[in-house]
Formats: sequence, structure tokens, C-alpha cells
Amino acid sequence: MLIFAASDKGGTGRSVTSANLAYHRALAGDDVCYLDFDFGSPTASAVFDVADAREAAEDRGLHSYLIGEVGEPERIDIWARTEHQVLRDPPPGCGRLVLMPGDVSGGEFATTGDHVRLCVDLLMKLYYEFDLVVVDLSAGRSYAVDMVLEATAQTEMREITARWLVFHRWTRQHVAAAASLVFGERGIVAGGVDRGHEEEALRGAIRFVRAAVPDPESPLWSQVSPTQSAWMRKTDSDLKQLASNHGIGYSQVLGSIPLEPVLQWREQLITDEDVLDSQIANMETWRALSGLAARLTDDKYWEQA
Amino acid sequence: MTTAPGQPARPVLACGEVRTCLLPSFQALDGRAAAQLLRLRADEHVRVSERPNLYALSPEVLTGVDCRLPTSNGAKVRAVGTVATRVALTEGRLLQSTAYFSAPAAGPDTRRPWGHYLVRPGVVEPFGKLPEQATAEGVLRGAGRGELDLGTIAESLLTRLLRHPLLDRKVPFKSRRTHLRWTARRIPAGERAELTRFTLAEDGLRTVELRLPEDTPVSAAAGLCEDLALHDWLLTTVVHMLDSSRLAAADGRAAVQALRPAVDHLLHLWMPHAQVDRSLVHLWEVLEREPGFTRQWQNLVQRIRDQLAVQAIPLLHQALSTS
Repeated sequence: MLIFAASDKGGTGRSVTSANLAYHRALAGDDVCYLDFDFGSPTASAVFDVADAREAAEDRGLHSYLIGEVGEPERIDIWARTEHQVLRDPPPGCGRLVLMPGDVSGGEFATTGDHVRLCVDLLMKLYYEFDLVVVDLSAGRSYAVDMVLEATAQTEMREITARWLVFHRWTRQHVAAAASLVFGERGIVAGGVDRGHEEEALRGAIRFVRAAVPDPESPLWSQVSPTQSAWMRKTDSDLKQLASNHGIGYSQVLGSIPLEPVLQWREQLITDEDVLDSQIANMETWRALSGLAARLTDDKYWEQA
Repeated sequence: MTTAPGQPARPVLACGEVRTCLLPSFQALDGRAAAQLLRLRADEHVRVSERPNLYALSPEVLTGVDCRLPTSNGAKVRAVGTVATRVALTEGRLLQSTAYFSAPAAGPDTRRPWGHYLVRPGVVEPFGKLPEQATAEGVLRGAGRGELDLGTIAESLLTRLLRHPLLDRKVPFKSRRTHLRWTARRIPAGERAELTRFTLAEDGLRTVELRLPEDTPVSAAAGLCEDLALHDWLLTTVVHMLDSSRLAAADGRAAVQALRPAVDHLLHLWMPHAQVDRSLVHLWEVLEREPGFTRQWQNLVQRIRDQLAVQAIPLLHQALSTS
């Protein structure tokens, strides 16, 4: 299965959350490949803590591949190459976790048939090899988004299950922007239909992920004043109403990730050690990630609303 | 040293890379479909044999190259010529693409007209003297940017073939490709071919070093390496399948589901040196002794069969108690 991770704006935690999802699936035994299609600002190597391996692979990343400069993009085996102490000892029974990095120097590029052809070849090849392929796309209605919409519309990719996660923060602007990214005039659905996707099928393959959501009931806020608390609840419920008005209400949401300092500040994988031993990360975050990871392939959550 | 025009120089080194993958098709292809798939050229036929197994071999296609050779010591040697590529399909299931070339000990110091290279298919001539050892090591280590990269040439043919409309692109199970790089140093005619090294490296890479008598054609070495790559792929894939099926932890149905594709698609493919040139068959014995390819395979097959038998016992009880 292919998972495309998109977001309306930067700073939604798209990269770090989707990397954590890839990590959870690999822990559960799946062979997972993570592609950094965030051209211009590739961050995945920092999230997986493979900076050195990444440097050695400079100019052989996905961008160089898509512009035809190298025949095969570099692969980095995370378990073997990471500098993260905990990731170096993956538990027995876990699957492979492979990163295909972007290039530091690679910006966006013009649309031509060649890129799309190479993109299809790559996605097909990885689809034959991995249980799950996670593609992290640059924010907004970017070239990366257009390219994979075009690629997945090709006849040879029609049969392949591809799903979209759209990440947005839990604010008024972000809710509106996420809805417009998907359903807007120049949104993903319209762009997909232009390229030959069937509208219903494409809509059915898109779900939203609310990121950095403060839970008014969380112990984090137990010290706030009653007025503040009431305000938080009210705002949260207003946002829910707003989301629903924009067509991205409850039934369209695959999961919510709580506001988590470790995700916000460190932008790294949250390991069981962070939750259980050092306890710098919250158990709720771990559960939310793990639940979301499981729902990626659970058809029940992807039935037409 | 320069050679007289028209007179082929004696090759001293041959190098190649084989890529092996599962054919992305739900059903295995029959002989006719295989011939259709592998028809890379209109002017030459696909060789199909049905005994002892179904095996189809495409005609060779040539890729013109003019670039540096990969060398282990950093020596910069420009070389010009053609790399030969071919594709084989075994039992309509396993697809392999090989790119290979031969190189003489020395070549002319200037580039000749293309006609010169075209009458020497699969030969790449160095400018000046060929650093034999360094080139062999460089090929096994892998090409850097701007160097002759056999893997990319083999891969691009494979990619082209995988776009064929004959394929439904439904894989019965997930599997990874393997790469096998090989080098063959030439030894005098009449001596016995030798397999001096076989290694498993990380990321699905394998390397083979051969010593090949001058009178043995390079295509025979390519055939041997394809056969080794195929059997190594089978071992690699079935080992991974058993690993990820987590037999002890999984419930019965999950184990059966995980192992079923091996029974349906892979177990019958084991047939060492079925298509290997007779003068090279003895090289298989080296691998049978150490590490023992067939020994490991039989062990894996036995594990799968035992596992399925164990899973069948409760069904038998059920059937008996309800009848």
C-alpha cells in the first residue's frame, strides 16, 4: 500500500508524524519504505537520525533520480545506519525500515513527462517490495503533490491502493486551509480529477490527521483557571463545528495526535524508551501514533462516508 | 600495445551484474507469453526451452558506453565500447536481467569510429592499458558517479520490461530484488574454470569472482551467474518469508497465509545448474560444499512443509469430531 502524506502548510508535523507512523508499522513487522518527497527542505534524515549516512549519499537522492541524473536513488537502512541508540537495537520480529532521502540541494522542478515516468517506475518497484510505502510530500499544492497525482492516474498504477493523509493543526486557519487543499478549486481532488482520477474513489482515499491537538481534558491543563478551561472547551467545540462545516468532520478524520513537546521540539521518532523509561513523551502520544498506524491499512476506516 | 584494426584483442577480464526479481504477474507466464515478453529485438528470436524447466532467454541488446571504468585505486581509465544486456525468465516466475562486458588488456589511445565498436558486441576497450585487478575490484565494489555502472544498465532494461502490457502487476507476495556482481579473470584455454569467491553483502548485494578459460564464452559465465543469482534469490526470499511469518507467535491461519505463497510459487523453482554450460557445472559443487546451497534449501522446504502439516492437524480433529 502507498500512503501519501500532505499538508496545507509547513509546521503541521507532517514529516515527523508520518515518520513515526512508518516506525510503528516496521515495529509491528511490516517492511516499510519512507520516501522524502519534501523537495527543497528534506528533513527525514534528521527525524531518523541518519545525518552521516545522508551526507555520504549526497546527490544520489530522490531529486537526482527524478531528474534523471542517477539510475537509482540511495537507500538508507535505518536500523543499521541510525545514530539513535534505541533504534540501533530493533526488537526481534520487526520489519525492514528503509529511508530514501531527498537531496539537500534539490529544489522543485518543472513538470515534464519524464519525471512522472520515473516516479511511476519507482513507486511500482517499491510497491512490489514493501508492505507499506510512505511518501512525505512538500507542503501546499506543491509540485510533489501534482507529480504523484499524475503518477497514480497512469493506467499501470490504477489497481494499486494509494491513500492520502492530510495533516493540519488544530486552529481555524489550518482547518480552513486543509479543507481548501483537498476540496478547493485548485485542490487535490480537482487536480486528481483533471488527471484522470475518479472523483469518488479519490475522495474516499483521503483522510485527515489533526496534529498538535491540545486536549482540554488532559492533565497538562489541570492547573488553568475555570474561565480558561471553559474557553478551551468552547473553542475546541467551535473548531469541531468549523471542521464539520468544511467537510472535514469526524468521519473524515483518521486520527488526532495530541500536543506533544517531544514531537514539536525534537522532531524525532518517539521510542518506547521515551515513553516508558525516561518518560519525556506522553503515553497518549504513543497510543495515538500506534492507533493511527494500525488504521492506515484497516479498511473499516476507509469506507465511503 | 595496439592491435591491428579488425583483429579482435584477447579479452583478459569479463564483468557483469545480474538483477533478480519476482515477475509482477499473478499467474506465472507460459512459454508463449514468456517469448512475447522477452522479445527485445524484432530481428532475433527468444530462446525458449521446456526441459528440464521452462526457461526463456532474450536476445542480447547493446548499450553504447564512453565513460570511466570503476577502479578500486582511483585510477582514471576511460573506456569505449558496448555493454551487452539480456533477460531471462525461469518458470514464468523469476525475471533476471544481466549487463556484462569483456575488456582486453589494452586498447587504442584514441576513440575509433563507432563501426569499430559495433563489430565487437559486448566488448569495452580501455584507453591504454587496463588496470585489471583494480577494475575487477571496482566493479565488485560498485560504480561511482560518472563511471560505467552495469547495475543501472541492467536495471533500466528490467524497468522497461516491467512496463509491458502483458503483465497485470499483481504480485502474489512482496519480495525484494537482489543484485549479483561478478568478475571473471581469464586463464589459458584448457585450464579448469574456478569459482574463487562468493560473498553476501548487505542490501541484497552478492559478489562472485571467477577464473574463466579463454575458450569459454562470456555468455556461459553470465549464464552461470544468473543461475547462482536465481538460487540465491530463492534462499533469500524464503528465509525472509519464514522470518516475518513469526511462526511461534502467529496463530495458525496467519502462518499458513504467510507461507502459502512459497508453496504456490517458489518451492518447485529449485533446480541447480539446469541451464548452465556443461564446462561450468562443476563450479556449483563448490557452493554445495560450502555454504551448502541445496542443504539450506532442503531445510527450509522441510520447515515449511512441517509447519503446514502441523497446522492441518486441528482441521483433521475437527473433521473427525463432526462426522
